[in-house]
Amino acid sequence: MYENNDPRTLAYVGKSVLRKDTSEKLTGTATYVSDMVLPGMLYAQVKKSPHARARIVKVDISKAKALAGVRAVLTGDDLDYRIGLYIVDKNILAKGEVRHYGEAVAAVAATSLEIARKAVDLIDVEYEVMQPVLNHMDALKTDAVLVHPDLGSYEFIEAAFTPVPKTNIANWTKLRKGDVEAGFAEAAYVVEREYDNPSVQHVPMETHVAIVRWGARDKVTIWSSAQSPFTVRNLFCHTFALPLGNVRVIVPAVGGGFGGKAGIHLEPLVACLSKKAGGLPVKLQASREEEFSLLPCRSALTYRIKTGVAEDGRIIAQKMEMFWDAGAYADYAVNVTRASGYSASGPYEIPNAWVDAYTVYTNKPYGTAYRGFGHVEFHWGVERHMELVARTIGMDPLEFRRRNALHPGSITLTGEKITSHTGDVVACMEAVARSIGYGKLTAAEKNRELATGRKIGKGIALLQKAPAMPSNTATAAVIKMNGDGSVTVNIGLTEIGQGSTTALAQIVAERLGFDIGKVHVMVDKDTESDPYDWQTVASKGLIMSGNACILACEDLLRRGYAVASHVLKACVEDLAHDGENVYVRHDTENCIPWRSIAIGYAYPDGKGIGGPLIGVGSYIAQGLSNLDKETGQGKPALDWTFGAHGIICEVDPVTGEYAVRKVASAFDVGKVVNPALLRGQIVGGMIQGLGTATCEGYIYDDAGHLLNPSFTDNKIPTARDLPMEIETIVVENSQIDGPYGARGVAEHPMISVAPALGNAIQSAVDADLAHMPIRFEDVWRAMHDKHPIDNWITKTPAGSCRSDPAARIHTPDAAISP
Amino acid sequence: MRHQFSYTAPTELTDLLTLLETVGPGARLLAGGTDLLVNIRNGLVKPNTVVDVKRIPEAHAIMSDNTKGLRIGWAVTINDILRNSDIASSYQLLQTCAHDLASYQVRNRATVVGNIVNASPCSDMAPALLCLDASVEIASSKAYRTVPVRQFFTGVKRTVLKPDEMVIGITIPIQSKGAKGKYRKLKRIQGHDLGIIGVAVARVGDSLRIAVSSAAPTPVATGALPLDITDSEALAAVDALISPISDVRCTKEYRRFMVSEFTRRLLAEVRS
Amino acid sequence: MRINVTVNGIAYEKDVAENRTLLRFLREDLGLTGTKEGCGAGECGACTVFFNGKTVNSCMVLAVEANEGTIETIEGESSGGMLSRLQEAFDRHHAVQCGFCTAGMIMSARELIHHTPHPTVDQIKEGLEGNFCRCTGYEQIIEAVLDVTGGYTAKEELIHV
Repeated sequence: MYENNDPRTLAYVGKSVLRKDTSEKLTGTATYVSDMVLPGMLYAQVKKSPHARARIVKVDISKAKALAGVRAVLTGDDLDYRIGLYIVDKNILAKGEVRHYGEAVAAVAATSLEIARKAVDLIDVEYEVMQPVLNHMDALKTDAVLVHPDLGSYEFIEAAFTPVPKTNIANWTKLRKGDVEAGFAEAAYVVEREYDNPSVQHVPMETHVAIVRWGARDKVTIWSSAQSPFTVRNLFCHTFALPLGNVRVIVPAVGGGFGGKAGIHLEPLVACLSKKAGGLPVKLQASREEEFSLLPCRSALTYRIKTGVAEDGRIIAQKMEMFWDAGAYADYAVNVTRASGYSASGPYEIPNAWVDAYTVYTNKPYGTAYRGFGHVEFHWGVERHMELVARTIGMDPLEFRRRNALHPGSITLTGEKITSHTGDVVACMEAVARSIGYGKLTAAEKNRELATGRKIGKGIALLQKAPAMPSNTATAAVIKMNGDGSVTVNIGLTEIGQGSTTALAQIVAERLGFDIGKVHVMVDKDTESDPYDWQTVASKGLIMSGNACILACEDLLRRGYAVASHVLKACVEDLAHDGENVYVRHDTENCIPWRSIAIGYAYPDGKGIGGPLIGVGSYIAQGLSNLDKETGQGKPALDWTFGAHGIICEVDPVTGEYAVRKVASAFDVGKVVNPALLRGQIVGGMIQGLGTATCEGYIYDDAGHLLNPSFTDNKIPTARDLPMEIETIVVENSQIDGPYGARGVAEHPMISVAPALGNAIQSAVDADLAHMPIRFEDVWRAMHDKHPIDNWITKTPAGSCRSDPAARIHTPDAAISP
Repeated sequence: MRHQFSYTAPTELTDLLTLLETVGPGARLLAGGTDLLVNIRNGLVKPNTVVDVKRIPEAHAIMSDNTKGLRIGWAVTINDILRNSDIASSYQLLQTCAHDLASYQVRNRATVVGNIVNASPCSDMAPALLCLDASVEIASSKAYRTVPVRQFFTGVKRTVLKPDEMVIGITIPIQSKGAKGKYRKLKRIQGHDLGIIGVAVARVGDSLRIAVSSAAPTPVATGALPLDITDSEALAAVDALISPISDVRCTKEYRRFMVSEFTRRLLAEVRS
Repeated sequence: MRINVTVNGIAYEKDVAENRTLLRFLREDLGLTGTKEGCGAGECGACTVFFNGKTVNSCMVLAVEANEGTIETIEGESSGGMLSRLQEAFDRHHAVQCGFCTAGMIMSARELIHHTPHPTVDQIKEGLEGNFCRCTGYEQIIEAVLDVTGGYTAKEELIHV
C-alpha cells in the first residue's frame, strides 16, 4: 500500500486533523451503553462469591423470586452453556463450584436497580469453603489443588494451544531455536534471574455494560461497550448454537477498552436473563468494584531468564520460562502466553533460544487481553535482565543493547528475517538516549543533586510488538457515495478513543483526493450493516483497516470512472479527478461532478446509467503462518513496531521516594498519520505504563480475597502524576505494506516504561528491583538490602503487606458490596 | 444508595439538637457526605435518618478574634479553610494540612468537623488541630462541653461523642495564633490518596509540637516540646506515641522509619 | 420528598427518594446523561457538576440536598449550539479520546479558571487532580486549559529523527 509520497504532496496524512467524533463527546450528547434506556428495560444485578474456592452447596432464590418487580432469577444450574475464546472452560454462572473471589453465582433482573439489588441481597448461598490455590508457582506443584480437574474434557483450539490435563496448566507454548545447551557451554558468562509482575486492572472510565433483548424466534439484539462486535456475535452464537444472522451486536460510543472489552463478558449472562424475563431488554452495568473482580484483569507473571553471553557481549543463548498466572479461567490468557512466547526475548537477536511459556490456573479473578498482550509484563523481565547482564559483564547497558538489538538481516525467535523496512529499534534507542543525556549528568543535574540531596538516575528500555492475531485475520471497508458527492465509510473497527475514526477518514480523504469535510466515518458499530472486522485489538487497526479503506477508495474510483467514461465519451485511462469532478486529462472542461454520478446518472434525455457508487475493499493479513507447536517457528507477525523509553528519575537515597523528571519515548511508526492523535496515544500509553510501574497491582490475602477492589487502594495516575517533561519522538522507516507506510503503535507506548524506570532507579541509588510495581517502600527495601515485600499475595507477616489482625479486620461482604 | 433512610434538614440548631435527642443512635449527621455517603453506599452504616446539618447559617462561620482565637463552624469545608485570609495569615498550618486532603471536588464538600468526627487514623486535619491545641465544642439538647482535640479520639473511628451529641465547633486558642508549621504526607502517588503516614511539626509560641497520622489507632501528638530539644529526644518522643501496622498500603517497618525521617526533616525545616 | 432544583437555568420540580444520589437524579430523572458515573464513590471525578457554584462529585451528594439549589452540568456548557471557548480548546488540542471523563474534566477546568484565571501547569494539575483520565495521559488536556487562559506556547507535537 505504501506509495513513495513526498510529504509535501500529502493533504491530510501527516497532519494533525481535528478529531471527527468530538462534538458529541464535548457536549455530553455522545451515547454510551451506560446512558441507554429502552422501553420496558429491566435492570440486572449479580450475586458474587465472597470466596476464592468453594463448593456451592445450595442456592436459595425463593425470597428473591417473590420480591415484587423481580422478573428473572438465574443460578448456575439453570444454564447449560459454556464459554471460552480458546478453551471452553467457563460457565455463564458458577455451577457446582466457585473458582475466584467475585465470581458470579446468581443473577437477577428486575424493574428497577433498587429492586434488583434488594433481590440479590435476598439470595442465600450456602458454600463449603475449600482451600484455594493462589500462587501460580504453587499451582504447578504436583500435589496442588486443581482449579479445573476436568481440563482434559474441554473443547479447545488445537492448532494453537496445548493444555495439560490433570494439571493447572491451561496452555504450554514452546519455542526451540538452535541449541541452547551448546550455547550456554560456549558462553563466557551465564546470568539467570527471575522477575515478577502482579495482576492489574484496565480501568476503563466506563465500566463494562451490556443491554440484551432476546426476542421472539431467538432473534437477539446486544448493545455492548465492546471492542469487537463481530467477536461478541461469533462467540455468542457458538455458545448458544444460533446462526450468525440471528444475533445483532450494536456498539455506540465506548468509554475506553484497553483490551478489557476485547472479548465477550457480560453479554451471555444478560441474554439469559432477558430470555428468562420473556424477552424484555435487560441492562447490566458493572460497578467499579465489580470491574475489579467480577470482570477480568491482566494476568500476573513470573519470568525466569537465563542468558549466555560471549566475551564480546553478544548473546549466544537464552532460556526463557514464563509462568503466567491466569486466574480461574483461560479467557485470553492462553493466547497472551502464546504471543508472548514468540516475542519473549524482546527486540534482540538470540541465535539459540528456548522458550517454555505456561498459562497457569489459580483461584483468582482471571486475566484477559490487556494493552500490550503480555508485552508490558514480560518486557519488565527482559529489560531488567539486559541491564543485569550488561552490568555483570562490565559493559555499558546501551552498548550491550546496541550490540544485540535486531537489525536488518537478524533472525527473530520464530525464524523471521528482519529487513530494512521492518523498523529500527536502535534508532529509537539512540533518540531517547540523546534526549535524556544518558550515561552522564549535566552540570545542572549535578548541582541539583547537591542542592536537594536526591540522586538523579537515567535508564533506557527497548520494546517490540507485532499484532497477536490469527494468521488469516481480515477486515473490510465499504465506502458509499452520497448524493452530494460526500462519502460515508463503514468499517467494523471500533472507536474506543484511539482515534481510528479520524485517522481512517484522513486516509480515505487522501486516497480519494476529497476534502476531509466530505468524508464521514461512522462511529457507531452494527454487525448487521458494518463489514466484518476481526477485533479492535493488537495495534492492527490502522494498518489493516487503513489498507482496506485504500482498496475501497480505489474500487469506488474505478466504478466512478466507469460511469464517467460513458458520460464524457472518453477512455477510462484518460480520466482524472479532484474533490469535485471527474474530468478528461487533456480536455479539462470535459468533466462531470461527482454528485451527478453518485447515485446514478441521468442523460439529458432522461436515460439513466450507473447507480449508487459504492467501493468495497477487503484486506487479509498476507504471508503469515501458524507457529509449529514444538519449535515455535513460523511467521506470526504482520508488522513489528519497535520503540524505546528513556527516563530520568530523582530518588531520595534515604527514604526511597522518587519522582520521574523526564520521559522520552520513541517509536518507529513507519509514517505518522496524525501527529496530535499519535502524541495522545503515546502520552496516554506511557502514563498508563507509569501507573503499572509505580502503583498498580492487585493485593490478596491468603484466603484469596481481593483486598483492594476499589480506587481507595487500587490507584491509577492522576494529572499530578505526570513527569515534569515528556518528549515524544518518531522514526519513520516506511512499512511498505502499510497505508502510506504506516504501522500500528496503539499498545506500544505502555511497554517497557516500567523497566526504563527500574533501570533509572538502579542507576540513581543502586536499588536492584526484580518485581513490580515499584513503590517507594520497594526502593527503600532494595536500597537497604531488606527483604522485599509480597506485592500480591500476602503469605507471612514477616516482611509482607499482610494486615495486622488487631488493627484491620477483613469482612468479605463489605469488600464485595455493592 | 441501597439503604433507605429519611432525610431532614433543620434550619435551627436547637431543632437539630432536639432531633438528635429523639432519634439518637439511628441518625447520622450529613455535612459534606464524603465519609457518610461512602459508608452508606458500602453498607457499613445503615442510618434510619440522615440529618443535613448545612442549612443552619452559623454552621458555615469562620470567626477569627484577637482574644478568643479562631472558631470553625461545623459545616465549614476544607476549601473554605483554604480560601480564608485570616487562616492564611495566622493559622497557616490548617491550610497546609487542608491542602493535601483528597481532591478539589472533595474539598468543596468535606468539612473540618466531619474529618475529625469520622476519626480515621489517617485524618489530614487532625495533625494541624493537635499541633494548634484545638478544642472541640460538643453540644446536646441538654448540655454543652469542650474537649481538647487530643482527648477527642478514643480509637479507630471512635470518639468521645455520645449518640445525642454533635460537634458544633472547633476552636483554636489565641496562644496558637501565628504558629508556623509544616506537614508532610506520604502517599502512593502524587495525586489524591489517603495518607500512608502524615507528620506535622509546628512551632507554637516558644515550643514545638509534633503530630502524626496513620501510624496509630488515632492521630497522635506530643505535648509541648522545648524549642531546643535534640533530634533524638524528639524522635524518641514521637516513636513512643506510634504503633504502626502493616496493611495493603505499607508495612509497619516503613511506616515507623518514615515517621522518624519526616519528623527529623520537618524539625530541621521548622527550626531554620 | 419533593424537591425544586434549577439545572442549567431550567427549574424542575420532582419527587425523589431520599437516598437517591444527585448523579442518578440528573441522569435518570432529568435525562441529562452527559454527566457520567465512573466509580460511584467520589474518587474519579467523572460525575463532577457545579452545585450552588462549586464543583462536587455528584455521586456523593444526595438529590435532596440540592433542594432549592442550582446545578450546572456539561449540557449547559455550550450555548445556542455553539461550543464554549473551553470546549473549543479541548477540541483543538486533542484533549478528548474516549470522551467518558470529558464532561467532568470540563466542569473542573471551568471551576479552576474561575478561581485562578491564569493557572500555571502545576495549578492546572492540582485543579484536575480529582478527574481521572485513562486515555489521554492528561498532557493535551493541560494544554487546552493553558490555551484558554493565555498560557500556552505552541510546540511541535512530535520530534522526528
